Amino acid sequence: MVELAIRNARTAEAPADPLEVPALTPGAMADSKPYPASAEHQEKIGFPGELVEDWKERAIDKLGDLVGKSRGLRVYLDSCVKCGACTDKCHYFLGSGDPKNMPVARQDLLRSVYRRYFTFSGKYFPKLVGATDLTEEVLDDWYSYFHQCSQCRRCSVYCPYGIDTAEISMAAREILDTVGRGQKYCNEIIGKVQTIGNNLGLQEKALRATLEDLEEDLEDETGLEIKLPLNVKGADILLVTPSADFFAEPHVDGLLGYAKVFHQMGESWTISSYASEAANFGMFIGSYENMRELALRIRKAAEELGVKRIIFGECGHAWRAAYAFLNTLAGPFDFLDQHYPIPQHICEYTYDLIEKDALTFDKSKNDHIRLTYHDSCNVARGSRMGDTPGGQFEIPRAILRAVCNHYFDMPADTIKEATLCCGGGGGLLTDELMDIRRKGAQPRMRALQQVADEHGVTHLAAICAICKTQFAKLLPEHGFEMDSIVSIHQLVSNAIVLDGQISDDDDDDEDDEDDEDDEDDEDGDA
Amino acid sequence: MAYQYNGTTVEHDEEGYITDISLWSRELADIIAKDENIEMTDEHWEVVNFLRDYYEEYQIAPAVRVLIKSIKKSMGKDKGNNKYMYHLFPYGPAKQACKIAGLPKPTGCV
Amino acid sequence: MLTITYALLFYLATLVLIVGVAHRIWQFARTPAPLKIPTAPAPVTQGGVVLRLLREAVLFESLFKANKWIWLFGWVFHFGLLLVLLRHLRYFTDPVWSWVVLIQPFGVYAGFAMVVGLAGLWARRLLVPRIRYISGPSDHLMLALLLAIGLSGLGMKYVFPTDIVALKAFVLGLMYFDWQPLPPDPILLLHLGLVALLMIVFPISKLVHAPGLFFSPGRNQVDNPRERRHLAPWAAKLETGGRS
Repeated sequence: MVELAIRNARTAEAPADPLEVPALTPGAMADSKPYPASAEHQEKIGFPGELVEDWKERAIDKLGDLVGKSRGLRVYLDSCVKCGACTDKCHYFLGSGDPKNMPVARQDLLRSVYRRYFTFSGKYFPKLVGATDLTEEVLDDWYSYFHQCSQCRRCSVYCPYGIDTAEISMAAREILDTVGRGQKYCNEIIGKVQTIGNNLGLQEKALRATLEDLEEDLEDETGLEIKLPLNVKGADILLVTPSADFFAEPHVDGLLGYAKVFHQMGESWTISSYASEAANFGMFIGSYENMRELALRIRKAAEELGVKRIIFGECGHAWRAAYAFLNTLAGPFDFLDQHYPIPQHICEYTYDLIEKDALTFDKSKNDHIRLTYHDSCNVARGSRMGDTPGGQFEIPRAILRAVCNHYFDMPADTIKEATLCCGGGGGLLTDELMDIRRKGAQPRMRALQQVADEHGVTHLAAICAICKTQFAKLLPEHGFEMDSIVSIHQLVSNAIVLDGQISDDDDDDEDDEDDEDDEDDEDGDA
Repeated sequence: MAYQYNGTTVEHDEEGYITDISLWSRELADIIAKDENIEMTDEHWEVVNFLRDYYEEYQIAPAVRVLIKSIKKSMGKDKGNNKYMYHLFPYGPAKQACKIAGLPKPTGCV
Repeated sequence: MLTITYALLFYLATLVLIVGVAHRIWQFARTPAPLKIPTAPAPVTQGGVVLRLLREAVLFESLFKANKWIWLFGWVFHFGLLLVLLRHLRYFTDPVWSWVVLIQPFGVYAGFAMVVGLAGLWARRLLVPRIRYISGPSDHLMLALLLAIGLSGLGMKYVFPTDIVALKAFVLGLMYFDWQPLPPDPILLLHLGLVALLMIVFPISKLVHAPGLFFSPGRNQVDNPRERRHLAPWAAKLETGGRS
């Protein structure tokens, strides 16, 4: 309320408050639900193909099993006092007004069932404590509203007990999978990674062709033989990046940026076709086993290629799964060089070089850009970069300031640990959920509008494949160009001065042409 | 869920992507395009044909950049760019053009 | 009869409170945390975690970030309650510890603070549509119970004084199993009855949220997953089957 009063005190011309709280509209998003996973997709990753007959018993058993295996889940289900601190913190609530998108109300969908079957008060006084029987309607509600949570953890920052709705929604999705009600988008993708190695289903042959094509582009642009090596045994560095970096716009430009930095430093590095995916969708569905399977692919690739280091490309949830979980799921990584963080983020890598003055930048190459930075939720609240808490906020910004002259932060209550999800995270980046994605993006779009109005900001940088795709899709609806969402390493790529690169003076005409093309090519695709 | 034409039935998924790529035909492409509010022109066909050729070779749709480079070669710079691709396929060249070409939908963070 | 009833009631309430809270803590403690999930930015040392938990427990740091009104009412209530509880130690100690004597005057104000805090929280529960939506019957009843305890306590202090010498004899008698008669003032009986009820309800309700904070992985984990491998016992069993 206090913050609200301050915000309202601004002049009438001020743009809409990014965090403006809507009126409650019960049921507004009740019809939002993802496509169900087919029997084939379900069974491939160890779940029943359709709703099982004894789903109720199995769901309750699974809930009990999960509560026994996860202290977080147990504490979170037991400890809420309904204080209301989280009620205005979810971007999906702010965008939709549906009260079931308030974090505590979302948690209560599961908590009320937990209370009914696992607590004294819920067993004997269900009405008093809001305990409910597990019915088909409840299951439908779970399917709908636990797929309106991007597991971004913004609410958990504000909870006096640190209750993390992400953990609850992961548990709910795992229960849904267990009884045969999985979501198509996530489960199809997990299956693809387990058989092919990446979310896209990009086979080695296609990946190689794509990388060769991109190498040609790099040579055209720079006159240098910059490599995108694949499956090179004995390379020092294994780069694990989201497969969107091989396919989508603007993601590809980020990949070219990593390649340029590696090239400039003379690094021996490689991509693996077997582990050609940084994202770990096993996390989205709360399945430890699936998450572990995917993580073990990365270990196996590192062992077989004999690398010394693992570096992750720009990918949000992937970095959480890598930074916080990889060691648990697939460690110990005692066969890697212990002088480097395991795993390391590409931003940590580039930042270290900047700190050592090992890279030269021509910042004027980014002078057409007035930039702000979107802290991707899972990087911001689920991981770290560097040695000190908050490095995940400072390191990306330090890189951006090193390569771009015009940098401006969005309002303080919408960045860093308070950052807003792009609206497409947590397994929601699928077309049938476009309505909730669009609504969830509103707070971020309003914050962006504010810096656009105040500082003439034109571009938004992010280090998450999901954020990039989501924004490429939605920015045009808010009056921005599709290509105003950029990778950090795309800006690095623009500004980096490579030894022996064709200079502007040598080859003016062609360079100009290329610049034009680049701008066109940057347009996103979704 | 299926497309019906000339007495033929071709199954598709929730989003209209056909489930058996071998059942694709030019006629079917016209029908899918109509559902997408797209009038197929030579330019559309150029893209669709490239996608199909690429898929035959690699079992996947090409990266948008690869597609654009190829179109630039065949149709010139005016048309070989992302803006023109979105002009042809407003919902995005990868997803919409793939659907018309009978290819599976690209999955992942794209 | 009255004395015996209340004496037994308090033995029962104390037993339920201690066993119930201990059981809850034991449940939390024995459940493994399979993954590192501290809410970032998080402390990178154990000392940092202790500080983080202290700030949460004493200052309600996260709640402060979330909402200044809930923080204000919540903090005033909890610290009012704390002082009031400490003030009540004078009924349990003979001679009364000197620091308990020292805080007596503050404890009285704390009683008012506690009631004001509770009233503020209840007002929000009734007036703010979002919070009204998430409130169930038990949420209102808990506030009613606490408020009734606070008001009956203040009532004895200011309106209907009770024989506190006899009350203290009763309390000490309970502690040393040498029962003394309980003054039969209705307001005292109400006050004590509600307190006993609170003690019984405490472990089986949301009131036992304090241990939750200290066991919350989002708050109590050290942010060092790259440096130190974290593995739950049940997850370690997956590995004995060999890597796939």
